[in-house]
Amino acid sequence: MVSTKRRAVITGCGAVTSLGVSAQALWDGMVAGRSGIRQITGFDVSVYPSRIGSEVLDFEAKQFIDKKERKSLKVMSRSIQFAVAGAKLAMDDSGVDKDKLDKTRFGVEFGAGLIASELAELGPAAHVSSNCQPGTVDMEKWGVQGLANMPPLWMLKYLPNMLACHVSILHDAQGPNNSITESDVASLLALGEAYRIIGRNMADFFLVGGADSKLNPLSFVRHTLFMPLSRRNDAPAAACRPFDRNRDGVVLGEGAGVVVLEDLEHARARGAQIYAELVGFSAAFDAKGNGSGVTRVIQGAMREAGITAEQVDHVNAHGLSSARSDVIEARGIQKAFGSHKVPVFAPKSYIGCLGAGSGITEMIASLLGMRHGTVPPTLNHDETDPECPVMVSSGSARPLEREYVVKVSFTDIGQCAAVVLRDGKTLAANS
Amino acid sequence: MRKRVVITGMGVVTPLGNDVESLFTANLEGRSGVGPITLFNASRFPTQFAAQVRDFDLGKYVQDGERWANCGANSRFAAGAAHQALSDAGLIDDSKVDRTRVGIYLGSGEGVQDFHHLISLVAKSYTPEQGSVDGVIFGKGGMQHFNPAREYEQEPHTTTAHLAAYFGLEGPNFNCLTACAASSQAIGEATELIRYGDADIMLTGGAHSMIHPFGLTGFNKLTALSTRNESPTKASRPFELNRDGFVLGEGAGMLVLEELEHAKKRGATIYAEITGYGSTADAFRMTDSHPEGRGAITCLAQALESGSFKPEDIGYINAHGTSTQVNDRVETLAIKKVFGEAAYQVPISSTKSMLGHLIAAAGAVELIVTITALRRGVLPPTINYDEPDPECDLDYIPNTAREKRVRHAVSNSFGFGGQNVSLVVSRFDG
Repeated sequence: MVSTKRRAVITGCGAVTSLGVSAQALWDGMVAGRSGIRQITGFDVSVYPSRIGSEVLDFEAKQFIDKKERKSLKVMSRSIQFAVAGAKLAMDDSGVDKDKLDKTRFGVEFGAGLIASELAELGPAAHVSSNCQPGTVDMEKWGVQGLANMPPLWMLKYLPNMLACHVSILHDAQGPNNSITESDVASLLALGEAYRIIGRNMADFFLVGGADSKLNPLSFVRHTLFMPLSRRNDAPAAACRPFDRNRDGVVLGEGAGVVVLEDLEHARARGAQIYAELVGFSAAFDAKGNGSGVTRVIQGAMREAGITAEQVDHVNAHGLSSARSDVIEARGIQKAFGSHKVPVFAPKSYIGCLGAGSGITEMIASLLGMRHGTVPPTLNHDETDPECPVMVSSGSARPLEREYVVKVSFTDIGQCAAVVLRDGKTLAANS
Repeated sequence: MRKRVVITGMGVVTPLGNDVESLFTANLEGRSGVGPITLFNASRFPTQFAAQVRDFDLGKYVQDGERWANCGANSRFAAGAAHQALSDAGLIDDSKVDRTRVGIYLGSGEGVQDFHHLISLVAKSYTPEQGSVDGVIFGKGGMQHFNPAREYEQEPHTTTAHLAAYFGLEGPNFNCLTACAASSQAIGEATELIRYGDADIMLTGGAHSMIHPFGLTGFNKLTALSTRNESPTKASRPFELNRDGFVLGEGAGMLVLEELEHAKKRGATIYAEITGYGSTADAFRMTDSHPEGRGAITCLAQALESGSFKPEDIGYINAHGTSTQVNDRVETLAIKKVFGEAAYQVPISSTKSMLGHLIAAAGAVELIVTITALRRGVLPPTINYDEPDPECDLDYIPNTAREKRVRHAVSNSFGFGGQNVSLVVSRFDG
C-alpha cells in the first residue's frame, strides 16, 4: 500500500512572526540568535503580571491583497490577516503559476484558534446597554440600541473558519477546505489531514497553515487567568527557555505559518523546488498526561515513514517553556527514541507560542534548516532541567547530518500530533 | 481493497428529544421544536425564538460532575450524546478494545464569551468620545471578574479533550469548525481516518449552541434569521415560498464509526454504512453561496462518484435546507444539476423545518435522522410547506412523513463561508 500511495512534498513556505514578515526573516532572525520576544506595545499591558510577548510589528495586511479585494480587509481580524499574508508568501515562494492550477484540486486547511473580539468594536453597543452594574447588561437595551450600534458583518470577523475561507476566495481554491480548532496542535493536524487527502487523490495542491493572535486585551487577560505566563519582564529575550532549569512559563505570541503541500508528481511536472517530503503523520490523545501520547505519535509517524530513530537529525519540539509541559514532552521524546540521543530544537525560544499557528510556523524553521544544511540553536538553554531527559541543541548552530526531521506538537490537555519530514535534497538525488 | 466503514452507535441531544427514538418519532409526527427563547432575555431582539434543548440532565449520562461544571453547552451536550452513542456501541467498558485505536473527530462549536461580564466591563472601560477602551480598567476588571475555569473552557479544543479523557479515547483527536458543515466534515474525515488505518473506531459528530446573546446578535445583524415572532413554530419553512430565514437550534449528534471487520469481530450492531463523501469550497464570497451552486454541485457529484453511485441509486436526500432564500434555491439548483431528470424522482426533506439549525451540530443530527429513516423505511417530512416556490420545484416531502424503502441516501451540509459537504449512507445488509 505504501509503495503505491501518492507522495506529498512541501514546495513553499510563508511566515509572519515577531522576527519579520517572511520565512526568510524568521530564518535570518534565528541564525543571528535574535529573539522576537519583547515588551508588548500593541496595547496597554501595565496591569498584567506578564507584560512580554512575541509581537508582529511593521505588518501591513494590504500589501498581501490585490487592490480589488482590499474591501475584505474590514472583515478580517488580525488572525485572518496573518493567515492571508502567510498564504500569499507561501504561494509566491512556491513559484507556482496560479493560472495553471486545477482549482477544483486546490485545497486549503488551516489551524485556527478562538478569535477574540476587538473591544473598541463592542464599545458603542456596550455603552448604550449599560446598567452600570458589573456582570450584567440591560438586555432590552442591548436588543434594540445595542444591536443598532453593532457593525453588520461583525460576526464574520471572528468565525474560526474565516481564515481558510478568505484564503480560498483570494486564491480561488475550490477543493477540500477545513479549519481545525485544536489549539496548539491545530496546524499540525491540518497538515496531516491535507497529507491524507493528497494521498487519496482528492487534491493535488494545498495551502496548509495556522494563524493566531493572543496579543490583544481580551485574549491576554483570559490567558493571564488560566495559563502560567513568564514573568521575566526585565529580560524578555531570555524569557522563553524550553527545557531549561530556570524556565518560568509561557510567552504568548502571534503570527502565521503557511506551507504549500503538493503531490510529488505535480511538483515535479512544474519543476518546483522541494523543501521536504512529508513521509509520516500520527495523531493521538495522551489520556494519562505522562508523555505517552507524545511517544505514540512520534513512533506512529516514524513507522509510517519506515525509518528508525537513528535516521532522525533532530526533533523540532513543542518546547512550551512551562514547568509541566516540558517535562511531559521530554519524557515522551526520550521514550520514543530510546538509546538514540536525538538533538532537540525548540523554536519557541525565539518566537514564543503562536497557538494554533505554532506547529507549522515552527516546522518552517526546520524546512529552511534542510535547505541551508544547518539547524539553529535553541535560545536560552543554559542549564538542562534534570527532569527533562533530552539533549537540547543549544549554543551554536549545528550542521544537519541526517535525512529526517520529526516535528511534534501537543496541547496542555492531551492532544498530540507528529509529522516526519524527509530532506528534499536527498529526494532529488535518490529519485 | 478499500476498507468499509460502518456505524455502530448513535446518540443525540436535540430540541425534539434527547435520544434517537424520541427525536425520530417527533420527526415522523412533524412536530416543531421551536419556541420562545428562555435561555436569556431576547424580548427586544429582532428574533425572539429558537429551538432550545429541553429537559437535558447531564447527570443522567456522565459522572465526575466537577469535570463538566465549568463547561459550556457544547461540551455538555457532546458528553450526553457521546455517552449514548458509546453505550449503544457497547464501548463504555469494553476492555477488549484497544483504546489507542479509538479516536474522536468532532465539529464542535466555538467557545462563547461570558457576555454579561465582558460587555459590562467593556461599557465601564469605554470612552465614547475617543472610541477606545481603557486598557488598565479593562485589564484590572477582567482579572477580577472573569472566572478562570470558565474562560479556559471557551478554548476550542476542550470538548474533544474532555470526551477523550472521560471515555478513554486515545486515538487521533480532531475538532474542525467549518460553520454549518462542521459535523458532516468531521464524519467524512473520520471515515477516511479509519479507511487509511489511523484508527479502528472513531467517535464523531458535533455539538453546538449559538442561542446566546452574541450568537443571536451576530446572525440578526447578518439578517440571516427568520423574524416571524408571532408564530415561531411556523418560522422554519425550507423550500417554501414565504421563508424568511433560518431558526437557531442547539444540540449534539454523535456517531460511532467503525471498520467493518472490526465491528463484525466484536459482534457490534451495524446501523448503516458510510458509502460516499464529497468536500469542496465555493471560494466565492464570505456571505453568499455561489449563485449557480458551483461548490455544492462538485461536492454532491464527488460524494456520488466516491461510492460509484448513479443519481437513480439515491432514494432520499436530507437537505441542508436552511429556510433562507438563497440556500434553498441554490441547493435545489445543485440537486437538479447533479441528478438531472432523477432530481424530480428523489424525495427530499429538510429536518431543519422541525429542529431549526444546529449550526456545527446540524449535519451529525441530520445524518442520524437519515440513517434511522433508512432503517425504518419512513422518510421524515418538511413541515410548514404551504406554498410552493416556483424556483424550488422538487419533491420536498411536504408536511407528512412518507413510507418508502430506501437503500442509499444523501445528507447535505453547506457552511457559511463556502465549505460544502455531502455524505452518502447506505443500509447495511451484510
